[in-house]
Parts: sequence; C-alpha cells; structure tokens
Amino acid sequence: MTDKPRSGGCPFHPGTGPVAGRRGLMLGLAGGGALLLPAQAKAQPAPAPLMQSPPGRDAGAAGTALPFYGPHQPGILNPPPAAGLVAAFDVLATTPEELQRLFRLLTGRIAFLMAGGTPPAADPRFPPNDSGILGPVILPDGLTVTLSVGASIFDERFGLQALRPRQLVAMPRFPNDAPDRDWMHGDLLLQICANTPAATLHALRDIIKHMPSLLRLRWKLEGFLPAGLGDASAETPRNLLGFKDGTANLDPADATLMDALVWAGPAQGEPAWAQGGSYQVVRIIRNFVERWDRTPLREQERIFGRRREDGAPLGRSAEHEAFDYADDPDGQRIALDAHIRLANPRTAESANSRILRRPFNYSRGITRAGQLDMGLLFICFQADLRAGFVAVQERLNGEPLEEYIKPTGGGYFFVLPGAAGPDAYLGQGLFPA
Amino acid sequence: MRRRFLLHAVLVAPLLPAARPAFAAAVSPLELAGPIAQYKLYVLDEARQLVERTERFTTAVKAGELARAQALYAATREPYERIEPLAELFSDLDGAIDSRADDHAKAEQDPDFTGFHRIEYGLFHEKSTDGLAPFADKLLADVRELHTRLQDLTTPPDKVVGGAAALIEEVAATKISGEENRYSGTDLSDFQANIDGSKKIVDVLRPLLQRADAALLAQVDGNFGRVNAILARYRTADGFQNYEKLSAADRNGLQAPITALAEDLSRLRGTLGLD
Repeated sequence: MTDKPRSGGCPFHPGTGPVAGRRGLMLGLAGGGALLLPAQAKAQPAPAPLMQSPPGRDAGAAGTALPFYGPHQPGILNPPPAAGLVAAFDVLATTPEELQRLFRLLTGRIAFLMAGGTPPAADPRFPPNDSGILGPVILPDGLTVTLSVGASIFDERFGLQALRPRQLVAMPRFPNDAPDRDWMHGDLLLQICANTPAATLHALRDIIKHMPSLLRLRWKLEGFLPAGLGDASAETPRNLLGFKDGTANLDPADATLMDALVWAGPAQGEPAWAQGGSYQVVRIIRNFVERWDRTPLREQERIFGRRREDGAPLGRSAEHEAFDYADDPDGQRIALDAHIRLANPRTAESANSRILRRPFNYSRGITRAGQLDMGLLFICFQADLRAGFVAVQERLNGEPLEEYIKPTGGGYFFVLPGAAGPDAYLGQGLFPA
Repeated sequence: MRRRFLLHAVLVAPLLPAARPAFAAAVSPLELAGPIAQYKLYVLDEARQLVERTERFTTAVKAGELARAQALYAATREPYERIEPLAELFSDLDGAIDSRADDHAKAEQDPDFTGFHRIEYGLFHEKSTDGLAPFADKLLADVRELHTRLQDLTTPPDKVVGGAAALIEEVAATKISGEENRYSGTDLSDFQANIDGSKKIVDVLRPLLQRADAALLAQVDGNFGRVNAILARYRTADGFQNYEKLSAADRNGLQAPITALAEDLSRLRGTLGLD
C-alpha cells in the first residue's frame, strides 16, 4: 500500500521543501518564548509572534512544548498531565521496508505534533490537512507521544526475530485477570499525554489520518488525572477507589535510579539497539466501585494499608514518612497482605523490583449489569520486566484487593529508545544502517 | 508527489506552467458531462437488474422456497450496493429497502423494519419464509419505485464523483466488520459490489483523472487491485464464502488498501475542481 511518502521540509509533511519552510512554523507565545520546530531551530532567529494563544485558554500551558529528541522518549519521566490515552495498533505493513517507512512517518508526525505549528493551508475543495479540533494553530499543550512495540512485531513478518527484547512476550494471564481479547496486545502502542483530552485526540487523529495503509487501530482507552502534577504543591493523585496512588513511586529526577531501574540496555542483557528503551506494562484494571463504596472505611484502609484521608501508612503520621516493616513483622499496623506491603515490602531484596508507575484513571460507560465501568489505566516502566512488574504482580496475586478489581486488558510493550535528533527516527536500531 | 504538489501549487504553479497540470483547474465542468452521462446509464442498467433480480427473489420468498430464496439473497442486493451513491439520495426508499435492525427502536420486531435485511432475518435467522410475503411485496414495490425515480433524476456531478469515496466509506464503516448482513454472512458480496461501484466511477472519470493527477489514479488503481485480489480468494461458484471465513490476516490485508482508498478518493472532488 503506497501512501505517498510525504518527504521534504514541511513540518506537516515532514521534509516538504523550501516553500513550506517559508510558511513560518514558529510559535511565539506570550510569556512562553518562541518555540521553534527542530529543523528550523538552528537556521533562523526567533521571529515576531505569529499568533497568540486563543482567548480563554491558559497560554502558558497550551504553549508548553516538551522536547522530543534525546536518548529516551518523552512521556515517561515527565510528570503525567491531566489527560492520557493509550492506543494499540496492528501494523498493516507487510515488509521490513514498509515497517521502516511507518517508523519514519510516525517519528515525523510526533516531532511535529509535540512542537506544534500551523498546518499548511489546503485548497478548500480538498479535505483539510488537519482535523481542526485545536483551532487553526496547533498548540502542543504539553503533548507527549511515546511509541512502544509489542512482542508480535518480532514475529516472522519483518525478520526481526533476533532483535526481540529478551523478556518481551505477550502479556500472560494472571490469576485474577479476566482478559478480553479485544482489549489486549498489539504490534504497536502509542501513549499520548497532554494537558487536555482534545490535544491527545487531535494527535491520535492526525497519526491515523497520515498512515492509512500502515496501521489499524486495535483498542484504545483514555484516562485522566488532576491537573498540575509535578508541581511542588501537587498532592499525590487519588485512584477511583479514593486512595492516594503513587506516594512511594520512584523519583524520576533521580538519574542514577532511572538508569538502574527504568532504562533497559545491554546491561540487562538486551540487544544493543534497545539501549535507552524500557519495558512498558499496560493494564486495564476495572474497579468495582459500587461495591467498594459499600465497604466499611476501616476495611478499605486495611486492604490498602493507608489512611484514606491523607494517605499516611497505617500507624504512621504522614503520607511521606519513611518507614519499613521491621517493627511490624506480624502485620499489627499494616496487614501482611495489605496492598502497599505486598507491592513494595521495602526490603533490600525487593528494592530492585521497584517500578516507575505512571497510571491514569479511566471511565468508559457502564457494564451490561448497569454498573460503572471505571478503574485504573495502569502504566509502568522498568528496565527488567521479570524483576519489576512481574515480581510485583506475583506478590500481589491473591491480595484482598482483588475482590474489588478485575484486570481485563492491556499488554506488555517495549518503549523504543529515543530519536537522537531530526535525522534519526524511532526504531532506527531495528534496521540495518 | 501529489500532496506536495498541492501544497506548492499556489506558489509554484505560475512559474512552472508546463511542468504540472494546475490542480483543480485542469478539468472544466463541461468535461464532466460525458462521464456523468455514462455513469447514469450504468446506474439505470443496474437499477433494471435490481428490479429483475428482486422479482425472482421475492417470487421465491412468496412461494416458500426457502433454500432458493437464501441462495438468491446476496446476488439480489448487488446492484443496489453498486449504485448506492445515487440510490441513497432517496432517503425514504433507502430506509425502506436497506435499513438494519439497529436503525429501529424495536430492532427486528419493529414494524418499520422492512426491506432486504428484514427478509434476511427471516430467511437466515428464523430460517423460514413464514410471514415474509408482505415484506417481499413491499421490497419489490420499493425497488420499482427507485428505478422510476432514478430515471427522472438529474444526476448531480458532486454526488457521482463523491460517490466513489462514499462507497469505500461504507466498506470501511460496516462491511469490513461484517455487521451489515449479520444473519446471512454475505458481507463479502456487498463488499465486492461496493468496490465495483466505486471503481466504476473512477473508470468513467479515468481520462480526466489521468490528466489531473495521474499519480493519484495509479495509487487508486493499485489499491483496487489489492482489494480485488484478496476478495477473489473467497469467491465460490455462485458468490462468496461466508464472512466468517475471512481470515484475520486477510481482514488486515483488506484494511490497508481500503483505508488508503478512503483517503485518496476523498480527494477526487477537489482533484476535478468540484466544490
């Protein structure tokens, strides 16, 4: 299937040449400085602002462009914004060359979308180049798009069998899972995060429109969080069971910790191309919220091991108080099968099973039984899948919380290493130079 | 590089008058008259076939010949599916002839659920011709009325040109999922008819498209070829295998050219300068 290669220098069709280049893709935002598209950043000085933030929108937030190029992809270490979605795709490409073209196209679209700009005007007798849902100027709004691959991309179709990250397999069923095959796995996964749902959906539609013959959507789930996470004053977000979730998460600012526990590479026995990538686990975990809301508070707290009001571990005074379980060997304060105790026993042996969690809450209608279908769009990253998520999940198997939750979908993926610069593309290491 | 050309056309075309045909302006409205007339003849011929096939089909239904009626069902629909861009212009008839149970408040039990899919429900779900005679009479009357109205129709060029894309959108939205002919599983037959109807429009416009955007035309032809090659694997002596036989690999194989066709054909009207 031969989508025309949109090569050249236009940000909308990456690399379309000098005419598009003159159209001016610079964003000058009040208070936000000038945002330049990478290809032009070196070549031209910042021009006068071409446009202002639309009235009624937060100019600073809407104009926020996060860096795309680097050793790692974005959307992992930066604090999660208010909106996030994951979309899994089957790849329709049938040859290694087409797959390579897909990765190049995706990289170009992601680079453009994360930087923002003005789509090229089209003859109005043709379909417009952009969905328009963000208005005539695309403000990035803190957008990140993170591309990961599933185990199936390493099957016989593309000859990549030998390059499969050594722990990447289709996510198995865990004892409490009720897997729905329509909501699992995928050749590719896009994690799209931004300050608003409109910005994430804009990016998704743009990518789908630009790769008609290469991708087929397999499943998609949208999630949400409170705005402003990552600010010093931000509270730990609460899950839809009402409890704070993420108190003891890894600190993404700790580069040594990230190198040890998040970024994969030859040190973990991975192929050389995988350096700077990460295992990504996605789990759609439905919460039985009606039943939870009919459960006594004390029991809820015993199940989690934290106070609901302020997130403090039971028997401790503050959410972030440092502690371990040495003084509570029999579970007098925090039950031995409490969620936080199983998830992270805080021992030397369990230290390397810590994972970087970056979940969203989701809500998607109701079940046939007339109950709310909502819960956790669980997302985590780790350098070693077995030592990370799998070890944590095996400790959690059989926990009392299972009565109130049901994992129904998701998958194991491997986040590709970042694109080093405008000449590089995501997945480049999978193809001969 | 079609898209690139479009982007550049305004600025570059005046400097390079001979290098490329100027987009949109290459085709004058008058030049569309021939192809549109040609398409109208095609539509009327298909409508005539629809009436004839519906006569045979409804005769079998009313005679209680279940197996024969089942066998005729898919082929009877084909002419309708080929000419949907114009047939759909009469929304009252389209609803009466081709609506699905989902379109009605009481689904299969709704008295307004008539036409092909109501009879399909009887023949393939209830496996009986009982009670179908009134629906058969109404269907025949409706397709005859459609034939009459099509004869009197002044063919709108934008509906014809846009129809090539509209048929592919039908496929992308409901045929590729196998949900339209849910009782009979005959979606591959509809699928082929939609493709043929879309290709017919491209064919009558071919000389104009060749001049206006040969690269687009080549890409469209390539994707029609890919779809037809996959569908051909499911042909039987008298039609197509059940939709359920379509393998996951082939469904994905169809998805790529279908989606590409939907994108490319969405540019036909602009390419021919139609507003």
